[in-house]
Amino acid sequence: MKSRTLRAVALVAGASLALVTAGCSAGSASDDGSTTISFLSWTGQEQMKPILEAFHEEHPEVTVKASYSPPVAEYIQTLQTRVLSGTAPDVFVIAAENKTNLIDSGAVIDLADEPFMDGVQEFNLDTYGRDGARYGLSLSSWAAGYAYNKDMLAEVGYDGIPETWDEFLKMLKALKDAGHTPFLESVDQLPTTVSAMLGAKTSEMEPSLDEQIFSGDSTFEDEWTPILEEYNKLFTEDLVSSDVVALDGDQVRDEFANERVAIINAGPWIINAVQEANPELNWAFGQVPGLADGKPYQAGAAAPGYAISAKSDEAKQKAAKTFLGWLASEDGVEMFHEATNDVTVTENFEPQVNPVFESMVEPIRGGELYLPMISWQRKEDLLNVEVVAQIQRMIQGQISAEEVAAALDAKLAGS
Amino acid sequence: MSTRVSEIAPTAPPVVRRRRSIEGGWKQITINRAFLLPAIVVFIFLFIIPLGQGFYWSLTDFTGYSTDANFIGFANYAEILRDPSMLSSLSFTVLFAVGTTVLVTCLAIPLAVQLNKAFFGRNFVRSLWFFPAVPSMAILGLVWSYILSPLPSGVFNTLLNDWFGIDSVSWLSDNSLARASVILVGVWAQVGWHAVLYIAYLQAIPSEYYEVAKIDGANARQQFFGITLPLLTPAMVISSFLLLTSGLKVFELPYTLTNGGPGFATYTITQSLITSGVGQGRYGLASALAVMFTIVVAIVGFSQLKITSSIGRRFS
Repeated sequence: MKSRTLRAVALVAGASLALVTAGCSAGSASDDGSTTISFLSWTGQEQMKPILEAFHEEHPEVTVKASYSPPVAEYIQTLQTRVLSGTAPDVFVIAAENKTNLIDSGAVIDLADEPFMDGVQEFNLDTYGRDGARYGLSLSSWAAGYAYNKDMLAEVGYDGIPETWDEFLKMLKALKDAGHTPFLESVDQLPTTVSAMLGAKTSEMEPSLDEQIFSGDSTFEDEWTPILEEYNKLFTEDLVSSDVVALDGDQVRDEFANERVAIINAGPWIINAVQEANPELNWAFGQVPGLADGKPYQAGAAAPGYAISAKSDEAKQKAAKTFLGWLASEDGVEMFHEATNDVTVTENFEPQVNPVFESMVEPIRGGELYLPMISWQRKEDLLNVEVVAQIQRMIQGQISAEEVAAALDAKLAGS
Repeated sequence: MSTRVSEIAPTAPPVVRRRRSIEGGWKQITINRAFLLPAIVVFIFLFIIPLGQGFYWSLTDFTGYSTDANFIGFANYAEILRDPSMLSSLSFTVLFAVGTTVLVTCLAIPLAVQLNKAFFGRNFVRSLWFFPAVPSMAILGLVWSYILSPLPSGVFNTLLNDWFGIDSVSWLSDNSLARASVILVGVWAQVGWHAVLYIAYLQAIPSEYYEVAKIDGANARQQFFGITLPLLTPAMVISSFLLLTSGLKVFELPYTLTNGGPGFATYTITQSLITSGVGQGRYGLASALAVMFTIVVAIVGFSQLKITSSIGRRFS
């Protein structure tokens, strides 16, 4: 009886082992030369499926088994759990939120020498790189500036967003005097205006603004205070209501679509919603005006890049590179653009965008973008939470621009 | 004249002191205690071990991407205590927990008394009050963010302007109003659920108590304070415990309604734990926050149980 039980246990254990082994074999190279790789996609299944099918048609020797997780928090959490448990996908997305941890933990391989990285905008490669190494293939970028109601601006004698901040403030006053709400900018994130003005400043600096701050050669107080003071004029000169501290991007967008405000901060993600809500709206995008010593600029960043797991075996890494190589090819980029509507930044393909967004394409493809959170070298989320809260307090008149910047210095020093 | 439940309740049977020895001896005791084993196993594996692991990770710089974490002592705890946003989040969390507990208790009991009376459409009205407890707090927060929008196009502001000619109110963009708004939405969402809890207890109160009180000449107010309220003490203990613990853990409502703002006015401990810790892969810091939070919840929870049980003893 006892030995029979033992035999049964051994049989079950053996069968389980066989099943586990069979399960593990999915994704490794087969005898017929084909390879299956796993891919955790940030982009939705509906958009990604035709891209994967087109890839498999051209490269039948590589099968991509995709799983999907929506951005951002859920994706980061799913990927982190899989990396920690030793089941990282062969190809996954490296984003601003996880790049430091992925690079520090050695979870991604260096793609700097891969030929498919050659035609990609340097700005995108640098975003997911460190010390000469490149860890992510980022095919597109996004930018945010101002969306403006052409009719309202024309009413006060303007045909677009002025190039200088002082002129912009004058225009807001004219709009207010004409009975319009001139400008709304959601402050649930770092304001687009502040990011763009900092971007214009750092583009003229060598080493960059953040390199100087994070190396200790400069401080937030020195670099940020003048810009925050200019931004705060929106509220101290009573051009914009301090109620913006309680608004999110969707509420601001709805106000704009319903023609209750002349100008808002926005990016390409509002285009479909605004055109659906108000197809007759006469509107366009413009850059954030420059300060006296600056130039018009925009907030923005490189889209998350595709990375290859350092834990994958050689055959799978090779297959993963084939996949990334195809994604970066003309056909791949074109399909990617058609599926996602992203503004792609490779040399081999010229994206077509919605006419209202046309003025932003050149700066995007030229890499004239800046987002502090991506450029910061450590404590990104902590600083981001702090700066949003402190700017909200400044808008409410509780603290000065200098105190906002000093709070960031204090947060950075608290490592 | 006041009528107290102790005066009209039937005399309790005398307590018979039993010997410690139990029929069946130690064998029976062992068998009885064996029934506790599943609960003990669950408690150990789902509470004690994770708590111990959490404490261990709180002493490291664990990032969640690699198990090669360095021991850094109490540095995570020191960082939390140095952070001014933590004090703000702690104060609002306590304010929310205490505020919702007091307000819901004060509103749910009279509401339960009214909903316990017979009237046309009673079940429908009960369902109406219960409904806000059904959707998740995150959805309620998003909906209320439009209702309480400080813009003139916000639902409340539109009504105030159309009906009373009042200018827009900064519901969510003024620190005090934002705190009050979050608490009041929390109260609105929970009062119906807790009223149903009280109704269940109200229905267990024998009607003879009220009949005797009426014969003694007690009015409605005296009946409420002399009979209803004392006999609802066990329900109040449960309700306030649930409210306090859920209030201390609050995350979804302020996150979706105000995102913790303006500034740090409605920032909560759990939001801090998730955004400052888990959100950026600082699991060591998040674990330290969780350990400190567990201690605070334990202190508040035990204090509340102690206070409410002593109140319960006074009324019994």
